Amino acid sequence: MIRFALPITFFLLIPTGLFVLQLKADETDSAAFFEKRIRPVLVEHCYECHSASAQAIKGGLRLDTREAIRSGGESGPGVVPGDLELGSVVSAMKYESVEMPPKGKLSESVIADFEKWVADGAIDPRDAESVPPLAATSEIDWKTASAFWSFQPPKRVALPSVESTQWIQRPIDAFILAKLEAEGLFPNEAADRRTLLRRAYLDLIGLPPSEQEVHSFVQDESPTAFQDRVDQLLASVRFGERWARVWLDVARYAEDQAHIVGDDKSLFFPNAYLYRNWVVRAFNLDMPYDQFVRLQLAADLMSPEDRENWVALGFIGLGPKYYRRNAPDVMAEEWEDRVDTVTRGLLGVTIACARCHDHKYDPFPTEDYYALAGVFAGTEMLNMPLDDSVEAKDGHAKDPDKSMHVIRDQKPRDIKVMIRGNVENEGELVERGFPRVLTGGERVVFKKGSGRLELADAIGSPNNPLTARVIVNRVWGQYFGKPLVGTPSNFGKLGERPSHPELLDDLSVRFMQNGWSLKWLHREIVLSATYQQSSAIDFEKQESDAANQWLWRANRRRLSVEAWRDSLLVASGAIDYSFAKGSIQASKATDVRRTLYSSISRFQLDPLLVLFDFPDPNTHSERRSLTTTPLQKLFAMNSDFMMKQAEQLADRLIQLDVSTNEDRIHSAYASIYSRNPDREELLLGLDFLKEGSDGKRQWTKYLQALLASNELLIVD
Amino acid sequence: MDPTNFSRRQMLHSCGAGFGALGWMGAMANQGLADAAAESSSPIGVPHFPARAKRVVFLFMNGAPSHVDTFDPKPMLAKHEGEQPSGKLYRESKGSGYMASPFRFQQYGESGMVMSELLPNMSRHADDLCVIRSMHTDVPNHEPGLLMMNCGHLQPVRPSLGSWMSYGLGSENQNLPSFVVLSPGRPVVGPQLWSNSFLPGQYQGTSVDTNDLDVDRMVSNIKHPLLGKFEQRQQLDLLQALNRKHMQARENDAIFDEQIRAMELAFQMQSEVREAFDVARESKETREMYGETPFSNSCLIARRLLESGVRMVQVYYVTNKNKQPWDTHSDNDNQHRKLCADSDRATAALLTDLKQRGMLDDTLVIWGGEFGRTPYSEINKKNEKAKPGRDHHHTGFSMALAGGGIRGGLTYGATDEFGMNAVEDRVHVHDLHATILHLMGLDHQRLTYRYSGRDFRLTDVHGRVVQELFV
Repeated sequence: MIRFALPITFFLLIPTGLFVLQLKADETDSAAFFEKRIRPVLVEHCYECHSASAQAIKGGLRLDTREAIRSGGESGPGVVPGDLELGSVVSAMKYESVEMPPKGKLSESVIADFEKWVADGAIDPRDAESVPPLAATSEIDWKTASAFWSFQPPKRVALPSVESTQWIQRPIDAFILAKLEAEGLFPNEAADRRTLLRRAYLDLIGLPPSEQEVHSFVQDESPTAFQDRVDQLLASVRFGERWARVWLDVARYAEDQAHIVGDDKSLFFPNAYLYRNWVVRAFNLDMPYDQFVRLQLAADLMSPEDRENWVALGFIGLGPKYYRRNAPDVMAEEWEDRVDTVTRGLLGVTIACARCHDHKYDPFPTEDYYALAGVFAGTEMLNMPLDDSVEAKDGHAKDPDKSMHVIRDQKPRDIKVMIRGNVENEGELVERGFPRVLTGGERVVFKKGSGRLELADAIGSPNNPLTARVIVNRVWGQYFGKPLVGTPSNFGKLGERPSHPELLDDLSVRFMQNGWSLKWLHREIVLSATYQQSSAIDFEKQESDAANQWLWRANRRRLSVEAWRDSLLVASGAIDYSFAKGSIQASKATDVRRTLYSSISRFQLDPLLVLFDFPDPNTHSERRSLTTTPLQKLFAMNSDFMMKQAEQLADRLIQLDVSTNEDRIHSAYASIYSRNPDREELLLGLDFLKEGSDGKRQWTKYLQALLASNELLIVD
Repeated sequence: MDPTNFSRRQMLHSCGAGFGALGWMGAMANQGLADAAAESSSPIGVPHFPARAKRVVFLFMNGAPSHVDTFDPKPMLAKHEGEQPSGKLYRESKGSGYMASPFRFQQYGESGMVMSELLPNMSRHADDLCVIRSMHTDVPNHEPGLLMMNCGHLQPVRPSLGSWMSYGLGSENQNLPSFVVLSPGRPVVGPQLWSNSFLPGQYQGTSVDTNDLDVDRMVSNIKHPLLGKFEQRQQLDLLQALNRKHMQARENDAIFDEQIRAMELAFQMQSEVREAFDVARESKETREMYGETPFSNSCLIARRLLESGVRMVQVYYVTNKNKQPWDTHSDNDNQHRKLCADSDRATAALLTDLKQRGMLDDTLVIWGGEFGRTPYSEINKKNEKAKPGRDHHHTGFSMALAGGGIRGGLTYGATDEFGMNAVEDRVHVHDLHATILHLMGLDHQRLTYRYSGRDFRLTDVHGRVVQELFV
């Protein structure tokens, strides 16, 4: 790289032979000068950060060998013998460029010593052998680099042969079973019908089945009974609502900003919901995933005439805008958000790491980062008028309430590397383009406008080794509680390796062959025997695979906050399925639309969402954390929201045209758990309801307990 | 990369430890500890080395107090009154040049620490206080300044100091949150200042509006809207009976037991939380010592929380009407007089109180704002009659520390003779953070969290532990 070559060039320009000859005579004295005046200062004030023993070598600069101090670091050569202008060390000590040491300026006499030392030829008796020089950032061998598993195109392999072939229902099962058999394990039996239906409902549409639906399924003797239900659920509009939220985590969807100056709402996104609704519709229509992705990056460039899908640009257009925006350092932060969301979200690689230095583990040099950041440097966030009647200036709607929040191209431009991420420390100009390791080491340069469309095409391409794998892995993770690659947004060296690499590849290839159809993928997974296993714990199998890494059973899972809250609203009967404008407050007892429609704030997230592991919408979320805290339980025990649901259900049950509490308990179990109570449950309920003089109060208490139970919270 | 970190993560996954457990695991110093802890399901803190402080209270003067009127006397300002400052300024001076502080400074205590007459009560603690006069930060704007001081970064996507501390050390009391934010009103920037960001959600600061001292209104969901304790216990007994029955039909899978225990804990928490937050339980004398302002009430609640095992309490000096009262762009002197009177009394009371209870030795008290104020004046152009104020100033300001292993009576570092720039023993906010973590037993370079492909730290790639401040 050129910036590292510079110091060496300067060094060689000095006629060293002559120089050494001239100085030979007083070398001993000069060495003494170094030992007495220079080395102690370096040791005391500089080595802490600039030597082999430093915890982290700052600025790539080491001062503990002759070679190192001369070749220097990111700010150029440290010392150029005889030249006070060129070296970075003395100017830093004088606080001219950077200020070193940061703790306080060294005394004038020390600085004078260093000036004299450099002017006299920077005689440095330290031998290079004392410490090996820093490994120079070598040129990446692209062939080797692209051999890493995730940079290789996914390939289909023959289905592995297995013993228990009768278990196999889908190709997925062969891969799972082969591993299980190799590990001396075998799959669980299929889950009972009631369990299976509840699981499929919650996974596919995020809502529990009604008692009638359970009943009819249990009675249905048709061989396609389950498949029929799955197809119905995939066709339901509730399906898009359930899965949109998974995407919104990836897209760090939000409706406002973390920074709010005064009451200034000008950077908010009052119509963010339009993007959210677009995602719901896209999933319901089974829009091919490659197109889904491309539209979100470049809908305006793909169909300049037809604006129908432009709102998809909210993927970038709803990103964080920071305080003091338009200042160079702030825009650099915003570009990082765009690059990070696109690369971790769509490609599962952590290119934002390369903003300050070459990626330490993956083959992404700093240039790759700036080649992508340049794309976003050539765009702007835009509140685009919803229609022609809206007043606008230079294309920006005057009233954000009458706009959609998208991006558009500005003057395209390449940007310069910012050394160590510092906007004031410019390196080489980098042409916009795609990360080289994903194109076999070739530098693919973007030439059209900002480069957004080319970027969109490069991501949504069947030749991209990552795009399909990353989304297949995310979807898989939702069904099994853990993805095949345990780090769904990091398929790099520090990420985890897939537990079932051939399965991931096979699914990814077939996903693309099936027109990038997400519904195909969902169906393929849900109809597998693997998915339909029971979650029962077999203690022998548990011994050998406690984490269920090889999937010998289904994993019991706590519901997401969305599915839990929606289940409560279904049980109380309060749920409102309207696909309306705007958003609700998730924790507000009277806001009863599905949780997907919650207002998402970067400034202050709704307290209910916070409690149940909703991710910070300021950045892309790789996966949700899963915590169990007493604060969650305080919500279940004491919140207005829970009380309201319990009261509403109590009202309904009390008004029922039945005579006994026993009948009412049956109704309660049907509403909440889609089943009948057993004898013991019935007795517990009857006993509890006997207490107290106020019927409604006692019923409310009883129902609140049922709503707060583990049975509603955890899916088998 | 720390290779043990990687294997630890893999180990956790293979042990089936939940994702949430990764947080505090990641901070562990060695494999042995991680192994031991992996078997326990409650987050326990494991410091990197012996801690000098067990808990922190950060009194945050929102808007930025003026260093030249409080802790950093500058007689040269009087001598050069009215002269425009020379040298490079972040933005042009909007006033009539240097402005002397009208407040008298004198020495206090055996240490002879110099403080202004605005702090008569705190000055009685001079020998417990350590004043850093050489603080500096990156930008003289409130939002980035607040984010830097609280989260170590100018933009809002980093975990806060208190979240890092909770993540590194866990909680001393399972019935209380480990990081509580007391704020009578909302500070500028707001919740990002106590955000867990990419750390797991349990490390977020629990924020409480202290304007209303009625505990049930102050802390959400802490009391059932209808049921008394007896009735709620009955309800819970039913629920837990149903839960246990449900669990027994499912091989006693640990996923259920965890929920059952959390529910039980929540029930216990109610009374403990209500007690911890309830200043009505304090004596009349104590209430009087602190004063009866929103800030002083917050300081008193802070002490109660610290005493009950909360790891970090942050008190924001704000009011319902003003998100940054210390932002004295006009009438600096009178405003500082009022603000200091309130803050000084409550802070000194807190110090006295902690000391009397033997808690000051292992409680780190921090007093300061996001930056300082200009040694030169600011004139309000729209209202020329308004008395002069002072503008934002980031290249030199003061902070005061006490307790928790801090050397009392020490005045550390210096600004130049006009109070413009920190010149001697400079302390950046990153250095302050490294120092705070160190006092709590955490190595700021080892307290990391793997996110977005790299290990993040509160201090990023910066930070020097200012050992000179330690006892």
